[in-house]
Amino acid sequence: MNYLDLSLTQVKSALDKGEITSQELVKLCFEQIEKTKDLNALNSTYFDLAMARAKEIDAKRAKGEDVGVLGGVPIVIKDNINMLGTKTTCSSKFLENFDSPYNATVTQKLLDAGAIIIGKANMDEFAMGSSNENSAFGAVKNPVDETRVPGGSSGGSAATVAAKQCFASLGTDTGGSIREPSSFCGVVGIKPTYGRVSRYGVVAFASSLDQVGALTRTVEDNATMLNVLAGADKMDMTASHTPVADNTSKLNDGVKGIKIGVAKQFYTEALSPEVRDNLQKALDWYKESGAELVEIDLPSLDTALAVYYVISSAEAASNLARFDGIRYGVRAKDYTDLVDLYFKSRTQGFGKEVKRRIMLGNYVLSSGYYDAFYRKAKRVQKVIRNEFLQAFEKCDVLISPTTASPAFKLGEKANDHVAMYLTDIFTVPINIAGVPALSMPCGKTSEGLPVGMQIIGKHFDEPTIYQVANAFEKAHKGGE
Amino acid sequence: MEYTIVVGLEVHSELNTKTKCFCGCKNEFGDKPNTNCCPVCTAMPGALPVLNRDAVEKAILMGLAVGCKINNYSVFERKNYFYPDLSKAYQISQLEYPLCVGGGLEIEVDGKKKFIHLNRIHLEEDAGKLIHDNSGTLVDYNRGGVPLIEIVSEPDMNSAEEAVAYLEKLRSTLLYVGVSDCKMQEGSIRFDVNISVNKPGEPLGTRTELKNLNSFRAVQRAINYESNRQIEVLESGGKVIQETRRWDDEKGKTYTMRTKEDSQDYRYFPDPDLIPLNVSDEYIESIRTRLPKLAPERVAEYIKLGLTEQDANLLTAEKKYSDFFEKVLSYFNEPKFVCNWITAEVFKKLNAFEIDDREILVDAKSLAEMLEMYKNGEINQAGARKIFDIIWEKGGEPKKLVEELGLAQMNDEGALKEIIAKIVADNPKAVAELKAGNQKTMAFFVGQAMKATQGKANPKMVSSIVMELIK
Amino acid sequence: MSITVDDVKKLAKLSRLEFTEEETQQFVKELEATLKQVEAINKVDVSGVDLLESTIDADTQLRPDVVVDSLPVEQIVLNAPDKKDGAFLVPITVAED
Repeated sequence: MNYLDLSLTQVKSALDKGEITSQELVKLCFEQIEKTKDLNALNSTYFDLAMARAKEIDAKRAKGEDVGVLGGVPIVIKDNINMLGTKTTCSSKFLENFDSPYNATVTQKLLDAGAIIIGKANMDEFAMGSSNENSAFGAVKNPVDETRVPGGSSGGSAATVAAKQCFASLGTDTGGSIREPSSFCGVVGIKPTYGRVSRYGVVAFASSLDQVGALTRTVEDNATMLNVLAGADKMDMTASHTPVADNTSKLNDGVKGIKIGVAKQFYTEALSPEVRDNLQKALDWYKESGAELVEIDLPSLDTALAVYYVISSAEAASNLARFDGIRYGVRAKDYTDLVDLYFKSRTQGFGKEVKRRIMLGNYVLSSGYYDAFYRKAKRVQKVIRNEFLQAFEKCDVLISPTTASPAFKLGEKANDHVAMYLTDIFTVPINIAGVPALSMPCGKTSEGLPVGMQIIGKHFDEPTIYQVANAFEKAHKGGE
Repeated sequence: MEYTIVVGLEVHSELNTKTKCFCGCKNEFGDKPNTNCCPVCTAMPGALPVLNRDAVEKAILMGLAVGCKINNYSVFERKNYFYPDLSKAYQISQLEYPLCVGGGLEIEVDGKKKFIHLNRIHLEEDAGKLIHDNSGTLVDYNRGGVPLIEIVSEPDMNSAEEAVAYLEKLRSTLLYVGVSDCKMQEGSIRFDVNISVNKPGEPLGTRTELKNLNSFRAVQRAINYESNRQIEVLESGGKVIQETRRWDDEKGKTYTMRTKEDSQDYRYFPDPDLIPLNVSDEYIESIRTRLPKLAPERVAEYIKLGLTEQDANLLTAEKKYSDFFEKVLSYFNEPKFVCNWITAEVFKKLNAFEIDDREILVDAKSLAEMLEMYKNGEINQAGARKIFDIIWEKGGEPKKLVEELGLAQMNDEGALKEIIAKIVADNPKAVAELKAGNQKTMAFFVGQAMKATQGKANPKMVSSIVMELIK
Repeated sequence: MSITVDDVKKLAKLSRLEFTEEETQQFVKELEATLKQVEAINKVDVSGVDLLESTIDADTQLRPDVVVDSLPVEQIVLNAPDKKDGAFLVPITVAED
């Protein structure tokens, strides 16, 4: 048996039963990383650190001590999450040599649950992008088809799970950065409710939209991961005090009587026929399985992308101002004075897309434009959010395609930022509304590319998402 | 030509919380660079601010003390600009929805009372410190993130004197409320001045802003200089330019820092890391119960004790004087007598120091003991002053000191008579003058008696014995 | 919404970024394209939308004023491009704000 083929839940059980040790598992993962290194999924790996930790956990387990829910399981985190003793680069030249001086709350939670963090995943620079081509350390290839992008910005996090280099990974999602790559690589990824998971120690892109979530091979694995990650944090005022429900509690409850909302605004002519077919099949299956399909209207959905670009760029421009070359990161060599140091360091340290967002963000915040853009966008955000709240009076979850098309070719959209932005058209509204959503495979195209289905839930109702997702997954084992 | 000077003040006062505004690092002055720092206050990637409840309460407390309306809904915003002392490249401050609005303070200049209105009090964070040396500029973030309140007045003041009176009152109130140390030398209270001039009956003139003044004297000099400069510009047919100017304390002049054209675009927007604050009415009322007795209430009480309004105002000018007065009274309940000594002798000693350093060094109980002896005639004024000097400098028990130094007043009538009889006999000319009605000559006799008794004679008794002997 | 070269230059200055003339020209086009997309927000009727947001209760949900250990100064300046005596070192800086 190849242990790498197992799900997180299965491998944890194999570890608990003593079929394999954590050290053996770590070695297997590193062999796989070596075999699939062309994917460029990881920015850094920590073999010695991982082995030392695996040894500790193996010893604890041998003594019968509690090793945690993730005890001894190799996991990868996105390279914008701080972990003491590692570099946190955000795939930016600016932070190429940045040593994390502290642990992010999610890092600490993983470690406390016994996870072995074996590496950090490549990503679009500062999480800005939808293809993982905006990385200072090179693009990531899609393990399903290496001529295609893995999606972004958590492209490395999706690829590493799909390529079986680890059993789960962390990503961050501001406008689809977990769900789009999950969809492109055929894995399960969740963007939790805004405030469900602490952002402390996660390098901010757009503070009011960013959430950390897990990418896994199964729905059950994903629910287990969210159980570890979720909860209030005294270091993050935006982390909610809403009690954390057990995300695995309803996994096997089936979908009988579940009301599934279908909004026509998600099924536009932009949808590729194969995505439409797969989604239709999935919806038919739900109906056959006893769920009720409810028609929903989200009239302002198509403005979400515009709202997203205003709000996320504004926050990004301000969040990225701290990268000034004074306390850490790149300091240009050839400056003449302090002001020149700022200009040169930032110009040399940031990539094109990051500069584009900073410029846009400063535009919409600058005096004379603030009301017309930022304030207006915040108002429209409220309208969109209210439409979702109204929708959820009629249904338990909404189902949509995650993306309009499957993974595109490397380089295909690299020079057309507007086309690139449009790939997020179905994922962005979720962040704008602050609700949770999960992407999972629901079929394949004739070329064998995964198609992603997005299950959207009520605020803080992730357990129902997992319930609906798991029913489908159980019935379609083998990816069909 | 007469001009009206119009002055508004923005006062930045650091709050004396234990920790910083948005992280748990110590709020302490004078430590080694960057030793009170964490990922939050040095803006490490991924760090997030978490608001200090005590900072909010102290800001509210000050707002209540000066009659502000406390807003139930308030928002923290980011003020974006690049500068090395600002680690995040934005300052967390308040703009559209400040914590406190309105209110004001009454000042008095040359016997005229005037109410200075406040626009707002908002909560924000301080920046770090820059230290310049031969290798460049050193950046220390120990002060970065320390909570500040910004107290913004309306342009209600019309002279440097009014501005200083307002600042004195404001500083005194901050100290009464106990929310700030107000140490100007440490920069824990700093002043920005907005100033314009106009001819009476005409609209307000163009204003300039003077930034970061750190003493009352600087404010006074800067206003006088800047108003004269503006008047000169106008008189010579020029126009005042709206700009920010720097006050050079050594040269006693203001200089252009930046004009409106290159003024910064701060791109304020609500900080998404900080959720808007809900301050409930119940919470505000619970904070109000912690408001200490302030100066006006104390003045009223002191007048009831028989002090003049002027004396009461002097004693309550600072909380520590007023507290000291009350403590002395608790040992020796003679308000007028105690007040006279404090406003004369204690204040004389304090005035030798800069405002920040005016500490009452004498123990209230010792002073009460000394004053009681003085009042009872056990020591005379010279003796009282001598004892006061000693207990101020090094402490000690007045009763013992009087004994040790032999300062007890000589009240022995028989002994005094003997001494004075000799003086009278030795000075017939003076006796004649005194008899002729020249009362000044009495001073001569008292002086002689003091000389003969090493200053211990009771002067009142000396006078009456002299009069008796020359009858 | 039309964007001029001067707009881009002003934004670049606010952003502390430098661009070549060519890049500046490109930004004019790109920003215009993005802003055209962004204009979609004007389609939505927002009259009557109250921007006041949900709040946190000051009395119960804020951080108590209790000192937490700071990081050792070595950790604070660990990544500093230039440092001296525990402080970050930058080129000589004249007063601004």
